[in-house]
Amino acid sequence: MKIELKAVEKYYNRGGSNQVHALRGIDLTIDANETICIHGPSGSGKSTLLSILGGIIGPTIGSAVVGGKKLARLPDRFLTLYRREHIGFIFQRFQLIPELSVLENVTLPLLPLGVRPAQQKKRAMELLEKLEIDHRSDFPAAEISGGELQRAAVARALINDPSIIIADEPTAHLDTRLSEDFLSIMSDLKKLGKTIVIASHDPLVSESPVVDRCLYLRDGALAAAF
Amino acid sequence: MALRYIDRQLNIADYALSGFKRRVARNVVVVFIFALVIFMVASFSLTTTSLKQAAGRLLETVPDITVQKMSAGRQVSLTEDAVDKLENIFGIRSVRPRVWGYYFDENNGANYTVIGHPKLSEKSPLPGLGIDYLPEMQLDTVAENAVIGRGVRQSLELGSRRTFSLFRPDLTLKSFITAGAFGADTSMVTDDLIIMDLQAARDLFGLAPAEITDLLVDVANPLEIDNIADKIGERLQGVRVVTRERIAKTYRVAFGWRSGFGLACLFGAMAAFAIFAWDKATGLTPAQQREVAILKVVGWQTEDVITLRFWESIIISASALGLGYLGAWMHLLFFDGVLFRPVLLGWSVLKPPVSLIPVFSIGDLLIIFSLSVLPYLAATVIPAWHSAAIRPDSVI
Repeated sequence: MKIELKAVEKYYNRGGSNQVHALRGIDLTIDANETICIHGPSGSGKSTLLSILGGIIGPTIGSAVVGGKKLARLPDRFLTLYRREHIGFIFQRFQLIPELSVLENVTLPLLPLGVRPAQQKKRAMELLEKLEIDHRSDFPAAEISGGELQRAAVARALINDPSIIIADEPTAHLDTRLSEDFLSIMSDLKKLGKTIVIASHDPLVSESPVVDRCLYLRDGALAAAF
Repeated sequence: MALRYIDRQLNIADYALSGFKRRVARNVVVVFIFALVIFMVASFSLTTTSLKQAAGRLLETVPDITVQKMSAGRQVSLTEDAVDKLENIFGIRSVRPRVWGYYFDENNGANYTVIGHPKLSEKSPLPGLGIDYLPEMQLDTVAENAVIGRGVRQSLELGSRRTFSLFRPDLTLKSFITAGAFGADTSMVTDDLIIMDLQAARDLFGLAPAEITDLLVDVANPLEIDNIADKIGERLQGVRVVTRERIAKTYRVAFGWRSGFGLACLFGAMAAFAIFAWDKATGLTPAQQREVAILKVVGWQTEDVITLRFWESIIISASALGLGYLGAWMHLLFFDGVLFRPVLLGWSVLKPPVSLIPVFSIGDLLIIFSLSVLPYLAATVIPAWHSAAIRPDSVI
């Protein structure tokens, strides 16, 4: 699924004394099945850019078009539907609910879709099996290792079979081996035709062969591409 | 589409149930407090309904019409010749004179209800006393016979003795022998009751011969009670004619007023709980806020989160309603409504030891539901709108 951002600006608290100009004049096209990495220091606007790409927030100015659909003017309800159908998120620290089991965390996106429990379990177990953590499915998320958390987060991101995967600093809390495992999973997803956007400081990610292109973001603007 | 909607609701309800289990300690405290409030409201309501039913059963045996003479707005005695004036009214089955009054026992600080009845000595049932019950009579041919309620027997500390004495107005003693006692099933109206011969009652109260306090009239056709009451009013000047329906209405008003007063007091407890629930619902912990944000990022709509809060509230309030109602039922069945009985029956030295039987009433259940579950749902689901609107980007 192709993503196009044109002249995107994002302000927080616009007009207020605490106004933040988070993104400035972003023009960006990401082709379907392309994997890009977004670099940049803390506060450079990476998370804001991911939020706009993922339909969590809209730009203040400019347009965001995903798969031919304009996200900029969509009300919250439709942005949620867009996320539900097209986007899989993998967060820094994975953002699983610690008291829920791995299986329950993975099936969370399916609950409001009315997917029946047997079907939920079947789909989740298939993914957990592929990611080799099916043996941990009944464990609470609070009781599994970092690598297993990461795989569970990937499984949750993939449960709706999204066309776009957005990952925010996915290797920030992982050792080298687990980071390599993560990139291997991304490589597999790329083979399945997914569009992948990864925000990361980690050179292991930016130098990985799975990444087609790296963008450098500074003070809310795209500074370079390599 | 409908099936998908039902599946969605079931999924979210299931998630709410798992959330209840995850936060079991906190939720059990809320359910316990809520159940306690519902227990009080339900106990009150069940006790009132049960008392109304008990009163209704007893009122079925009250005479169709009671006639009393009034002067200056107060009841005064009338003479026995009034019986003759009424007996020829068409449709009247029987007219019986009665002496009825209160006797204050200074030794025990108790008030007894004394009824003088013309047929006590005939060893026959006691019609027209509002009591369709014939105690085992052991009539004495020499002493004055009396049939007494269970409360009177206890108050007089008779034990195995059969004789007791009461003071006349001139402070001379009048002795009686107990010919029988009323059973527990009529104790709501017989607990403080002493029934004696009509003449003995006149003697005890210092009334003149042929003086009576009221007339008890039974009517052949129940549909004619009001017509005959009107005719009695026309025939006897200055009397008050009270029909059974009017007495029943007075009972209903008395219990209704007391229960209404009690419920109004308990409503304060409900309001306090609703405020507590509102406070909890508006003040989400950081972990709960994070959970909502995660749910929204993975595709939950604001309405899905509100639905989740709705199911959480349903689980808590349904558990509390079940526990509270069951507790109230047991309170009535096994403890005779001991907590609210004095409020509803009134305070007196001799409290009628009526056995209360819980009566299931959809109306009562709806009132309890409206006073407890609905305010709780409102107090938790309305502020949920605010908490459900957490921006999903807060987890990024």
